[in-house]
Amino acid sequence: MTLLFLYLLALLDGLLCGLRTSMGRCPLIRKRAYYLRALVRGIVAAQVVSALALAALLLAGAFSSHRDALRADLASAAGRMLRIFLPYAALVLFNLALRLLPSTDIRSATSVFMLGPLTAIRPVVMIVGILYGLSASRLLETWLLGLFVLALMLFLEFALNRRAARAQAIQIRALV
Amino acid sequence: MFPAWNPAQPEITDLLVQHDPGTLQRLPVRKQQLVEVFARFRNRKALRAVLALPEKAGILDDREIDALLLTVHWEMQRLAEEFFHGHRVWELLRSVVTSIRQAGIRETLRIVDVGCGIGYTTRWLAAKISLADHNIEVVGMDFNSILIAEANRLAAAESLPCHFLHGDAFSGEHSSHILLSTGVIHHFRGGALLEFLRRHEQRETQAFLHFDFQPWLLAPLGSSFFHQLRMRTAIARHDGVLSAARAHDGRTLTEAARASVPGFATGIYGSKIWGTPLPRVFHTLVGLRPGLVPGLRRDLGRHAARLGELR
Repeated sequence: MTLLFLYLLALLDGLLCGLRTSMGRCPLIRKRAYYLRALVRGIVAAQVVSALALAALLLAGAFSSHRDALRADLASAAGRMLRIFLPYAALVLFNLALRLLPSTDIRSATSVFMLGPLTAIRPVVMIVGILYGLSASRLLETWLLGLFVLALMLFLEFALNRRAARAQAIQIRALV
Repeated sequence: MFPAWNPAQPEITDLLVQHDPGTLQRLPVRKQQLVEVFARFRNRKALRAVLALPEKAGILDDREIDALLLTVHWEMQRLAEEFFHGHRVWELLRSVVTSIRQAGIRETLRIVDVGCGIGYTTRWLAAKISLADHNIEVVGMDFNSILIAEANRLAAAESLPCHFLHGDAFSGEHSSHILLSTGVIHHFRGGALLEFLRRHEQRETQAFLHFDFQPWLLAPLGSSFFHQLRMRTAIARHDGVLSAARAHDGRTLTEAARASVPGFATGIYGSKIWGTPLPRVFHTLVGLRPGLVPGLRRDLGRHAARLGELR
């Protein structure tokens, strides 16, 4: 169950990263299709990240001499990570939901006061969440796996952003 | 005050492209000229951005500058989207249109977006509002030809019923019933602000709506944080924050309008949130022919409380 939650959170993060990195790069008015493509890219990227994390997890399990202890340690670390990631995700989703209200004031306020700062602290939340999860762990494998997942999560937005920037630069070059 | 927030200086994008005011022909821009402007203000942030601009023998490279301007304007549209600016404009514009109709003007109303850039507001209106039902025509105008070309390209790409013109919105060739702008009016300061407003006094013009940032103590700080997060180019980050610092307060705008265009009843719309002392990010300088004021107040309904004194 904990793994499933972490997977869903990674999916949500990938989806939002896909969206965020594509914003400000398409000046059309009607761009549902553009954002849908961005969401799909984010989901695909999250799948890749999740697959790599799962592969590392399986490898660690396969080569470990204390498989049961590792499994328990990983489950405990993952459970602790959720204590940080779940409230953060809930806050993001709540503020996105507020933007459905038909008030330009409320919608603008969510951007300025909540979604902006929440985006700003994303890397910090990632680092704190992973380190908090690992803090009670005694096994080196758990620490290595946790740090590997952290690197993947931080790389996700960077890679999506680079891809989007390259696509935008090509488009603009064609215009001038 | 940080040098980058000094409202006396121009924004970088104001200086990147220069035109001959008569022929609208693009003029070469010397990079050193820009360096000198920002060196005078000890604005190191702007200097860094200017020094990174591509040049050929000391003259800014037109093609590279155009690419940069498009990138910046694409980014700026994101802000308008995040702040639901199209909705904000239509919320007020709809009531202005109704008040003009109630005054008996039946012809197609021509709405001109002054200094439209890549025309977000105009294109949003054309995409989201049935212009035919309201019998209105929306046009965007700007002095920058590359932005106008881009606005026309984007409108064509989505088959939007609007168009964009390169030139002066106040010249005799272009009449308008309603003039509107977004983030433009703070570019005019002192005598230039009075002159800009004076040019609104045209026979056909019934109203004007100028949307801009509202200055207050924390605006540059908030804007700095927001632009750091949302903008990707150094110029957009710099100019976005400077815009917030340069924005005129309601009093400056209304005093200038009342002195320049006495034929309009003028005031500020939407300065405070829900009747609290909290300022809105945007406020609007509203000007209306006096006979339209009661109709506007009536049509605004509960939003009429957002309208300050119009005189």
